[in-house]
Amino acid sequence: MRRRASLAVVLLAALLAACSRPPVHHEQLLTFGTLVDVTLWNVDAERGRHAVGALARDFDYMHNAWHAWHPGPLGRVNQLLPTGKFFSCPPSIVPLIRRASELSAASGGLFNPAIGQLIKLWGFASDEAPSGPPPDPAAIRALVAQNPQMSDLELDGIRLRSHNPAVRLDFGALAKGYAVDRAIERLREMGIENAIVNAGGDLRAIGRHGDRPWRVGIRHPRQPGILAWVEIEGDESVFTSGDYERYFEYAGKRYHHIIDPRTGYPAEGLSSVTVFAREADLADAAATALSVAGPDPTAWLPVARALGISGAMLVGTHGHIQMTPGLRGRIHFDTQPPPAVAYSEALQP
Amino acid sequence: MSRWLERVDWLVLGAALLLIPSLYATFWHGSGRGQEARVWVDGKPWARLDLFHEQHLRVPGRLGDSILEVHDGRVRFVDSPCNGRQCIHSGWLADGGEVAVCLPNRVSVQVMADDPRFDAINF
Repeated sequence: MRRRASLAVVLLAALLAACSRPPVHHEQLLTFGTLVDVTLWNVDAERGRHAVGALARDFDYMHNAWHAWHPGPLGRVNQLLPTGKFFSCPPSIVPLIRRASELSAASGGLFNPAIGQLIKLWGFASDEAPSGPPPDPAAIRALVAQNPQMSDLELDGIRLRSHNPAVRLDFGALAKGYAVDRAIERLREMGIENAIVNAGGDLRAIGRHGDRPWRVGIRHPRQPGILAWVEIEGDESVFTSGDYERYFEYAGKRYHHIIDPRTGYPAEGLSSVTVFAREADLADAAATALSVAGPDPTAWLPVARALGISGAMLVGTHGHIQMTPGLRGRIHFDTQPPPAVAYSEALQP
Repeated sequence: MSRWLERVDWLVLGAALLLIPSLYATFWHGSGRGQEARVWVDGKPWARLDLFHEQHLRVPGRLGDSILEVHDGRVRFVDSPCNGRQCIHSGWLADGGEVAVCLPNRVSVQVMADDPRFDAINF
């Protein structure tokens, strides 16, 4: 009897001990031209502040180095590319060029950071969204005809030149993902294994939130609130590109920031693309590539496969949803009634 | 006599154990809905808002004042001196973890909850 009583005491003590919740450190940074939200599980305030301080310095550095329209290292590269001659590329940009070239080739050129001139022509190379009107169609045609590609660049060590004078680099569809990857690496170096780094709605999560996975809500592209949610544990990135993020309306038509390098005009047919992948830079580039590919599954599925992402959810401009089969059962819809979903395996010809 | 007492002891202990889950559900778990919101200006904490205390709040940012409205457990931007108006298009925020930001004015608001429904929002 005494043994049972002591067992009960131990059980009660264990239950009470479970009540002392491990600390969650949560901090916001206004950096990288966006709101970066860092959540660290089982990290006390002092260690958390130290870690987030280190991330803030890294983000500021990367933002300055990779910014497409503020003066800085990438700005200097863009000034020298049209000369066609070799020059010393700032070392901070070399890995980004290498990664961008790989991802651009894998996407069949749908993710194309060499179209900096088109982005600028549309007015999206600016801190504020443009107000229109859309650019002169002849100017758009001229830039598309010059066909700038990452493969026009020749990188020899840190010596760089362009074989096409139209190439200007804009890493708007990659830099955020690349920076989030570096932030996660930095946290791991500091011994932090359970974290979310959310840069303006695009995130990578590692580990879990104690006894449960991380829960991530996916915002509805057309109305306030949540469209769906998903659980993440281990190591996964979730990136969404949408026509609602940066756009202007002119004469009743919406012109958004995801420019199709083949036409020179904003991509059509999708209001948002959410990509799941381990690396954030891959998820970032893939979200743009699939947005450009458009809603036809014979167009986007091969791109998704070539890039090697783990999943994608595409929301059409009329609300029609398509998904890769791996996301079945993982995506929980928050809207009533839940939307009809077409799974890509059923879409294959 | 002593045996009878022991039985009552076990009964009390059992009842206490049964009570734990309901106490947890009531006081700990929460519903995921936020009770308060935090406002940041330029990345620094600026105010805490009780979401059940109705008010319009003027938040001085880099470009001018952003106006936040708190109503019925929710908060939203109703005005801000930016061109994009993305903060206003974010609409009402009620679930723990939901966030809206006016980047040009460097003002952000996030709903806090003890056990937020979402750890992060993707958009």
